[in-house]
Amino acid sequence: MTVSNADVTTVPGGATSRRRTPAASPGTGTRTSGTSLRAQDRSGYLFVAPFAVATGLFLVVPTLYGLWMSFTNQSLTGAGSEFIGFDNYVEAFRDPQVWETLWHTVWFTVLSTVPLVLVALIMALLVHTGLPGQWVWRMSFFAPYLLTSAVVWHLSNWMFQPDIGLLDAWVAAIGLEPIGWLTDENVAMFSIAGVTVWWTVGFNFLLYLAALQGIPQQQYEAATIDGAGGWRRLFSITLPQLRTITGVILVLQLLASLKVFDQIYMLTAGGPNGSTRPILEYIYDTGFTNYRLGYASAISYVFFALILVFTLVRLLPARKEA
Amino acid sequence: MRAGSSGGLSRRDVLKAALVGAGGVALGGALAGCATPSAAGAGRTSVMIWDLFSGGDGALMQEMVGTVAAANPDIAVQSTTLAWGPPYYTKLAMASSGGRPPEAAVMHMSRLAGYAPGGLLEPFDLDALADLGITEADFAPAVWQKAQYDGQLYALPLDTHPYIAFHNPTIVQDAGLAGPDGKLDLDAVSGTDGFLAAGRAMAEVTGETGVGWGYQRDPAGCWRMFWGLYSQNGGEYELTPGRPAALDEEAAAEVFEFLQEMIDGTVAARNQDGNAAAARFMSNRTGLMFAGEWDLPMFRDANPDVGATQFPAVFDTPANYADSHAFVLPKQGSPDPAAREATYRVLAGLLKQGLTWASAGHIPAYQPIVQEPEYQELTPQRDYAPAAEVAVFDPDAWFTGGGSDFQTRMADAMTDTLAGKAPGRTAVTRMLAEMDRFLALPNPA
Repeated sequence: MTVSNADVTTVPGGATSRRRTPAASPGTGTRTSGTSLRAQDRSGYLFVAPFAVATGLFLVVPTLYGLWMSFTNQSLTGAGSEFIGFDNYVEAFRDPQVWETLWHTVWFTVLSTVPLVLVALIMALLVHTGLPGQWVWRMSFFAPYLLTSAVVWHLSNWMFQPDIGLLDAWVAAIGLEPIGWLTDENVAMFSIAGVTVWWTVGFNFLLYLAALQGIPQQQYEAATIDGAGGWRRLFSITLPQLRTITGVILVLQLLASLKVFDQIYMLTAGGPNGSTRPILEYIYDTGFTNYRLGYASAISYVFFALILVFTLVRLLPARKEA
Repeated sequence: MRAGSSGGLSRRDVLKAALVGAGGVALGGALAGCATPSAAGAGRTSVMIWDLFSGGDGALMQEMVGTVAAANPDIAVQSTTLAWGPPYYTKLAMASSGGRPPEAAVMHMSRLAGYAPGGLLEPFDLDALADLGITEADFAPAVWQKAQYDGQLYALPLDTHPYIAFHNPTIVQDAGLAGPDGKLDLDAVSGTDGFLAAGRAMAEVTGETGVGWGYQRDPAGCWRMFWGLYSQNGGEYELTPGRPAALDEEAAAEVFEFLQEMIDGTVAARNQDGNAAAARFMSNRTGLMFAGEWDLPMFRDANPDVGATQFPAVFDTPANYADSHAFVLPKQGSPDPAAREATYRVLAGLLKQGLTWASAGHIPAYQPIVQEPEYQELTPQRDYAPAAEVAVFDPDAWFTGGGSDFQTRMADAMTDTLAGKAPGRTAVTRMLAEMDRFLALPNPA
């Protein structure tokens, strides 16, 4: 961050006071003179200072340090910090576990993102269409989003519990064989995606609801006068008007789903047979359980690069449209 | 924001507040790096101990620490219990490599091979221990040997904790499996056929299942069961970096074939985790349950008469999977002789509280306790004490042990076989492949 010492004096205790200069005194900040403009620019830096310091300390520095570590054989035990060039990256590209766990992350992203967008849209449409008692619906759709992942884990853990769980009790009540909700390789990821949808759909729902309320009423009135029915209005006015917000929700959701870790780590710890282990858990296991920080950093950067490429590919056509 | 000064906040006020805030962030960052201020008063030496006893034994450890603290008023003992599992060992390694670890910590002896060579621990001074009345003669030779690395003592053994069989005396009697004392007759559950028949007999009594084993979502439980039975079946291993891993594949496959027969929905439930198995056992719906002896306090709360024995001899060679809790001295960035001396006194005091520790189910490592008549009267502890004599520990390698990624991967390899979707051989092949992967990894120490 660049703040020149001429303008700022630091007083003991961490507080800083601004030296009185005519240009900086309050009330004179009209945009007529060049000096006052520059002073305003400088005060802008001060406003972003807290954010810049925190970001620098807790995001930029660790990120760059991680990049450096990915070129070393750094261990969590403190041993080994020699520069080993691209060895970690070569290993990452050859490591089948990297690609396997990356696929699990992508699979979870597909399984969770599609319903998280569609279900949110349907819920928002239903509520907006005028179900009685709107606030009850709004609250109950949004409430799960306020829970922490640990609470969600506890609730779902008891429902999915093998042998004595609530869901298996229901399944047995209708005379079916119990299902390995979290213990069957073919089912576990669906269970986790289901829990995730229940847990986080409320946020997307809220975004859609806000967007729906922003659609001008006149368009509907005009359409009605032209003889458009309910479905026609939905497909010709509502959905096209929601395109922008859908784009926003989709990007937010993709990024959130690609980051999946908590609920999987707590519910299955990556099992059964590693079938739900996301790439972030592999990075965590490599770095923190097996102590290979250097290699774990390299996998992180490979993942980062892939997301970056994906985002650019997604973003470029959008730019052209705009 | 309003730039004017009429009434509300002036820009300068806001700026000041923002800068104070920034200072606070920077300051907070600096403080976060500091160790927690010790609770030591003036003149008292502070000793911090980390343990992983988040189960029923944690309360007993606190009780022991309280007793030792009362006997040493010049020492401020701070005991911190952290959740057991992989994250515990991450925290311990990070604290050590950061140079500000606790003065002492509890560790599984099975993890020593990954810790001692890396310089994360300091060896014990045998003379200082002898001054406190603790010598080699006070421990079983095998356990003492296990605590050594490179000719020095790196771990002070606290207990041996085997993976044993609990039983419900009523169900066992009704199934005709009890001896004259009303407890489980080990002969009645020995041999693969004998054990399965006993399981069916108990299932008939309960009307549900005979044996409880919560193997789902419990890598450690899968590994303990396999490794114990594999040793009973005479299995040997080779895990040497630079060479392919080797198991007695025939013996290992036989173990899985037995387990597949056991998980048939009658002898043991097909899809069960630890919580479900314990719930069934405690509500008298299962006659016998495989679990660590540390679950004793929980089972005894549910059924005061609960019985326990060493692991049944399903195969020929007597063997019982076990691990051992031990105290270690994480390497200090700036060692303090006074704190070190106080630490030795606290640890010696804790070892001698073994009788309290035994009530949690653990078999004390400090032999003078085991020989006390009071210990000999503890039931069911004395019934499974022989497990310590045939204890088989985790294989020796830097990546093995309690709470390791190795156990998780081994359990992964067993999944399809235990679910009945693949033959016993499949699990063995997959385990060997995983072992080879670990052997090819660089040792992070």
